Amino acid sequence: MTEVNSSTIWTEKYRPSKFENIVGQQEIIKRVTNLTNSLNIPHMLFAGPAGIGKSTLAIIVAKELFKDFWKENYLELNASDARGIDVVRQEVKNFARTKSLGNVPFKIIFLDEADALTKEAQQALRRTMENYTGTCRFILSCNYSSKIIDPIQSRCVVFRFKLLEEKDIEKVIKKIAENEKLVIDEKSIETLYEGSEGDCRRAINLLQASASISPTITSELVNTLLSSAKPADIKVVLDYALSGDFDKSREKLLDVMLKESVSGTDIIKSIQKEIWNLDIDPELKVKLTEKTGEIEFRLVEGSDEFIQLEALLASFVLAGLGK
Amino acid sequence: MIPFFEKHRPKTFNQIKGQDLAVAKIKEFFRNFSISNKKKALLLHGPAGVGKTTLAMVLANENECEIFELNASDLRNRAKLEEIMKPSTEQKSLFAKGKIILVDEVDGVTATDRGGLPELIVLIEKTKFPIIITANDVWQQKFSLLRRKTELVPLKEVSYSIVLNLLKDIVTIESKQVDEELLKGIAAKSRGDLRAALNDLQSIIYTEAQHVHKDHIHLREKAGDIFNALRHVFKTKTSSETTDIYHNLDMELDKIQLWVEKNIPYEYKGEELAKAYESLSKADIFKGRIYRQQHWRFLVYQNFFLSAGVSSSSRNKDPRSFTKYQKPTRILKIWMANRKNAQKKSIAIKYANYCHISKKRALKEFFTIALILDENTIRKLDLSDQEKLFLQDYKGALKVAHGLNKFVS
Repeated sequence: MTEVNSSTIWTEKYRPSKFENIVGQQEIIKRVTNLTNSLNIPHMLFAGPAGIGKSTLAIIVAKELFKDFWKENYLELNASDARGIDVVRQEVKNFARTKSLGNVPFKIIFLDEADALTKEAQQALRRTMENYTGTCRFILSCNYSSKIIDPIQSRCVVFRFKLLEEKDIEKVIKKIAENEKLVIDEKSIETLYEGSEGDCRRAINLLQASASISPTITSELVNTLLSSAKPADIKVVLDYALSGDFDKSREKLLDVMLKESVSGTDIIKSIQKEIWNLDIDPELKVKLTEKTGEIEFRLVEGSDEFIQLEALLASFVLAGLGK
Repeated sequence: MIPFFEKHRPKTFNQIKGQDLAVAKIKEFFRNFSISNKKKALLLHGPAGVGKTTLAMVLANENECEIFELNASDLRNRAKLEEIMKPSTEQKSLFAKGKIILVDEVDGVTATDRGGLPELIVLIEKTKFPIIITANDVWQQKFSLLRRKTELVPLKEVSYSIVLNLLKDIVTIESKQVDEELLKGIAAKSRGDLRAALNDLQSIIYTEAQHVHKDHIHLREKAGDIFNALRHVFKTKTSSETTDIYHNLDMELDKIQLWVEKNIPYEYKGEELAKAYESLSKADIFKGRIYRQQHWRFLVYQNFFLSAGVSSSSRNKDPRSFTKYQKPTRILKIWMANRKNAQKKSIAIKYANYCHISKKRALKEFFTIALILDENTIRKLDLSDQEKLFLQDYKGALKVAHGLNKFVS
């Protein structure tokens, strides 16, 4: 537990670089360690929620296999950022074309958030995996393995990661706090854990953000950060409209769209979901939902997002009057 | 023949009707004028024919000052400027007469070097005499500096009833007889432009065409005034004129659409509001279709929904009410947000690559990430100067917004 690198970002600084330093997932670690030691790993699928060590484990596998050459033999791609499977295929192709350095006969491609790929893209990925199976091993990560098509799952050894327990995250926090000379009490650690929702990266980020304000961490500070980081609620926009304050409502809407760069179609999705929670007559809800659908159609068709959403808000003003 | 609007131009403040606020402001400006003032010029702005120049003349008359009128070419003429500025000081001691400088119709002055706006700014800074400037549309971009250097006084359009009463008075003074219905027609068609009303009256009296029907007085075309167009659409009964209202305007329909969008809620509430936005959104649909199909005939529909469509949303309109229309600001806000978001995005990408997470997630958690990025990390991520500046502002703003500073020990 003494490994410390020079990074100033704690999620990196305290990212485990050896199998034995990973907290939780003991069963998985044991199996992956054995596979790695045999110097021949299969394609693998790491499934589980965010911030529990999937990327970390992939990096450690690469480090253990390739030692000093791990960076040359390891490619990390994020499926949710890559625009389309073509980008993924091209990068994989360029990377897999050359032989691996060192005495391991293959390279590793880590495809993060693979469940962000469409079914069609996954089919294409399957073929790519087959084409380069001689020179490359794939490690895929995803939140839900059910979103990965069967042909890929059947080609991989699937590992299901469990959510970290409170004591695991507590251990990590305490270690970092000690190392960084922070003052922290049990209650703050509990707040950090609750705020992290079991996501270790989030817990560490939250800890470092708190520490950037003050080296004495209080649960009040953590709670303030947690509530500030929450994205603005579309409900406020609708409430203003229902109460008849149209100008306030649209001002808030533009604010949400610009400050948090939310697109019109995302806004309309949240509005559609929110309608049934509103305190209005069910008949009005039906009317509003119909109108929302119409507006969504117009947005898809390519109209001015803001004008169309304003028209929708005007219908909410009407609904607020019971019409 | 002297035009009526010259012949009957008010000589005293008492004779000026319907501009009480502007009168009060101009009096106060003159009373408090001194060389050390920050704002040594008054900018009277408003539609044509509401009394901007008259106000300046009455001010001079009541205070026994001379008026020196400058136009664009005078402003560029250094010799002339000095002549006006200098001898007057001597003059002042000789005749004890003050001086007011009038820059009439500043709209015609262009923003380029040769136009005279920069000279006008210098003149305002140096002047020893009060300056009165008049303009129709003071919200043009080229006037941004001028707006800051002057005190803005808006003039409203003269209300229908005042126009009508003045017309009646003048008919009496001129010892003429004009049918009251006809006078009402002139007053309504003038749309608050007193000079236009007087011109119409004069033409009717002197052609002795007193039996013309009131519909034959042509609607005044007042180009370039979006405020008038909005007023017409929002406040008057929808008619065949409504669909033509934007034609006289020197403004693209897409821009007009932004003005309408901005101002609907200041006019309509509840059901009318919903109807008006429904029409506006239909105009927007056609706008989209024009762009996608390059089918320009759809402009007809965009124009229709934007004018008659919005206008017909309300049945009980009050042409005499006053609404302060606002300039659309959405496009500017979007532009500024995009500039900011570009920095945010590029920082998020650098962080995401370094920390093995997706761009999307980095953007989503940007709030926390921003706090984490300290001097060392910023160097490690190789942030550009622009990105550094953005981050600094962002952090400062969020600390204030969420009251984080009280935790700092």
